[in-house]
Amino acid sequence: MPTQDPSTDRIALLQGTLDMLILRTLAAGPSHGQGIARLIQLQSEDTFLVDHGSLYLALQRLEEKDLVAAEWGVSTNNRKARFYALTSAGREELATRTSQWHKLARAIGLILNPLPEPAP
Amino acid sequence: MSKPKRSPEDFAAEIRAHLDLESDDLKASGLNEQEARRQAHLAFGSPALTQERLYLHQRVAWLDNLRRDLSFATRTFARNPGFTLTVILTLALAIGANTAIFSLVNALLLKNLPYPHPDRLATLYARYTGVPNAVADGDPINLDGQHWEQLRDSVPSLISAIDNGMTSGINLQSQASPSSPASGQHTQYLHATRVSARYFEVLEIPLYLGRAFTLDEDRPSGPPVAILSYNLWRTTFNADPSILGRTVLLKGVAHTIIGVLPDTPTPLNADIYTALQPSRQGEGGGTNFGAIVRLRDHATWQQADAELNRAWVARAANVRSHNPNATVTFFATPLQRAEVGDLRPKVLVLQLAAGFILLIACANLAGLTLVRTLRRTSEFATRLALGASRGQILRQLWIENLLLALTGGLISIAVGYLALRGLLTLLPENFLPAAAVPTASIPLDLTVLAFTLLTALATSILFGMLPALTTRKIDLRSSIAARSGSGHSSLRLRQALIAGEVALTVVLLAAAGLLIRTLIHLETMPPGFNPTGIMTAKASLDDARFHDPAAFQKFVSASTLAMRQIPGVQNSGMGLSLPYERALNNNIALRDGSQSGREILSAMVYASPGYFETLQVPLLAGRTFTDADTATGQPVAIINQTFATKFLKDQNPIGHYLGKNRLIIGVVGDVAAFPALESLDVPLGTEETLYIPAFQVEASGLTLVHTWFQPSWLVRTDPARTNPAHPTSNLTAQMQHALASVDPNLPFSGFYSMSDLLARRLATQRVEVALLSTMASLALLLSALGIFALVANLVAQRTREIGIRIALGSTIRQAMLNIGQSGLLASAAGLFIGLALCAVALRALHSVLYGIGVYDLPTLAAVFLTLAVVILLASTLPTLRIAPIDPAQTLREE
Repeated sequence: MPTQDPSTDRIALLQGTLDMLILRTLAAGPSHGQGIARLIQLQSEDTFLVDHGSLYLALQRLEEKDLVAAEWGVSTNNRKARFYALTSAGREELATRTSQWHKLARAIGLILNPLPEPAP
Repeated sequence: MSKPKRSPEDFAAEIRAHLDLESDDLKASGLNEQEARRQAHLAFGSPALTQERLYLHQRVAWLDNLRRDLSFATRTFARNPGFTLTVILTLALAIGANTAIFSLVNALLLKNLPYPHPDRLATLYARYTGVPNAVADGDPINLDGQHWEQLRDSVPSLISAIDNGMTSGINLQSQASPSSPASGQHTQYLHATRVSARYFEVLEIPLYLGRAFTLDEDRPSGPPVAILSYNLWRTTFNADPSILGRTVLLKGVAHTIIGVLPDTPTPLNADIYTALQPSRQGEGGGTNFGAIVRLRDHATWQQADAELNRAWVARAANVRSHNPNATVTFFATPLQRAEVGDLRPKVLVLQLAAGFILLIACANLAGLTLVRTLRRTSEFATRLALGASRGQILRQLWIENLLLALTGGLISIAVGYLALRGLLTLLPENFLPAAAVPTASIPLDLTVLAFTLLTALATSILFGMLPALTTRKIDLRSSIAARSGSGHSSLRLRQALIAGEVALTVVLLAAAGLLIRTLIHLETMPPGFNPTGIMTAKASLDDARFHDPAAFQKFVSASTLAMRQIPGVQNSGMGLSLPYERALNNNIALRDGSQSGREILSAMVYASPGYFETLQVPLLAGRTFTDADTATGQPVAIINQTFATKFLKDQNPIGHYLGKNRLIIGVVGDVAAFPALESLDVPLGTEETLYIPAFQVEASGLTLVHTWFQPSWLVRTDPARTNPAHPTSNLTAQMQHALASVDPNLPFSGFYSMSDLLARRLATQRVEVALLSTMASLALLLSALGIFALVANLVAQRTREIGIRIALGSTIRQAMLNIGQSGLLASAAGLFIGLALCAVALRALHSVLYGIGVYDLPTLAAVFLTLAVVILLASTLPTLRIAPIDPAQTLREE
């Protein structure tokens, strides 16, 4: 496990949600693993603590399920890197998971925060 | 999901690429090369761990573990070839013995008879109560003509058929090929059976060609017809498709062939079948028929039994008239049980013995494995320290044991097969019921293979379980530090195993010893005649030309005379049956004296003049038969000593009459025979026997006995007078030649010396003894090895301790005793436990022992002594290695 400062407010990600975030990140365009990690960290405003080992395993699983396609390429600064791109199946999966997540989030929100009273 | 597996190298490359990119980014934000690298690594975590997680993700967990454990096990075994070979060979032998015997058990007891719906086939039994010698399970019964008619007509729940109870020998004369009559007559000796009309219908065997007997053909004066077995049709008649309607000469009478059977077995497995033509006379006057029945559809066995008892009410009443306190019930019993009934207990005893051997072998192997496991304690402790779980180590051990057991099991199939082949060649002909073993070759079928597999698995548990349990108590620290374990509790365990082994060995040895004594008793039974120098030959006289007593008399006189003229032959004779064989039994009425009118059952033999002289049976009173005792003269008889003692005690039998008018003219000594009277349940014994002259058998009796018995001609050769130019090996040819000079169309069916006949009689006993002795010796060897291994191991383990003892003043003998006593005590305990077990176990044998009791002291004493000697040797020999122990050197090794 990386020796991080435990006082930071980063929340550990669950496996299923990591898959969804990876897919979302790749929806914008192909990227290599390190790039994906950076993007998630940035876009979540540093909330998420992405364990890089888990990231690569998640990418491996997504590749086995044919949700992403991978091939070796060259990065912007001439480094060899393995690039991942979303497949059409991956796009569909992303849509499904996103709508599921929204439903879940709304339901939990309802329980945690009751709806405001309609104004009379 | 048919993607190729992601290679670990590719994954590693990706991780490296990641670290490079991360470092670049960090450098771009101001850090130097070294710091950027370090941060990148920190952020990533452990690449090795990630790599391992990929590996774990990719593999099929249990398969991978299995493969690893297997390869480790194989390497370990390759490093210890001695141990591995010992275990595998011991297992192969022990399991192989079990497999061989189980094949027999399977063929005889488990597999169904090869007939359609065998569970609906039965034969008839009677259960007697209140009668001496009654067996609880019931006895098979035969029927006479009247019983048959009652069975056939009044028991509608059954389809019934009868046969003449046996296969007899007859001669077939046929044209070798009908198209060329000049090819001459071809005489062949066959096994024949006579069956009633619906016999094959009961067995549900459809005829391959032609048809079965009609009711018309089954009447006493019906036309003579015959049905061929498939084999006979194929060989003698060359599978001639136009065989139906052809005539052959059977027993001197022309028979028409009306059918050919398919190639399936039948209960009697005869070569040729003729119609029984039962009646209430002659053969039907006595209980000479065997029955076979099939339950009709929609009927139950209870119905059938009830109808049977109603139909045979008169028969039951007859039994009660002889035994007022007796009741008898008749019932149908499944054919399978009936066929093998005799063999069932014998085969089961053998299976039990084989099971004992397996247990003993497992005990030895458990001891071996235990020692080996203890020696590996430090290996296990190291693995535990490195992160293995106890479950993983146990799994490793299980796999090792399983590998050994399965390898042993595989080899045991070959061993078992060979053992079985050997066993089958040992068994005498017709030992196994023909239907159960159709071609006398018991296959290793799936049941047997499954049995072998299960046995192998069970043994792996048996000898693997104990050592595996001891690994639970491994304490990490002390195990790594200490030398190979010398656990005290393991010693107790091994001693317990030894005690168990020895106990089982005692039982096996005792059983073998009892059987050996039985065999010796039977083999050394006084024969009552002089068996050396006799050659006998059998021929079937079941033929029309011998029906006339006058023709028969001429034939017998001429043939015995011709034999007497063979150079080197001292004497010759002829008789219906011989010593060691089963004679005819018949009723005869006593006359004169207190028991006049009483009908008694006695064995009966007809003999030609010269019969007793050739056999050299001692004549105790009166005279033997001469040529003067002809059909026209006074009917005479000779009785044996048992007859005289039983029925004419305290009287001079000479001059007494029997039956209608038979005069007793002589008394001869008893000869050993297979008792014809069913009250004697021994393979060999003496019984009351009545001899009548061959020429004084009346016509109907003559025809009848020749359907059941093949008479024998005997010659005695004088070794002093035998011309070396004509050795006895030529004797059989000369006998056949002599017979042919009288009747050219009569072949002898077989030649037997008296030791051949005795061997046939005692074949079962000999085989039992051979098998059980082999197993008992094997058990003894295994036990001795086990004790030896235990003590030798102790010596090796305790070398230090012994050195110290000697240094402190103990003598070598004391040291030896100290070590050896572990083995001695365990074995002695086993010995006494075994003797106690014998008290119970040996009772199972009482039905197969003759001439000795179950708790025979000399046998038990011999067993005790043998084991005591073996135990002493096995316990003390290894301790001899103590003598050269140099205490100074041992102490220096501290």
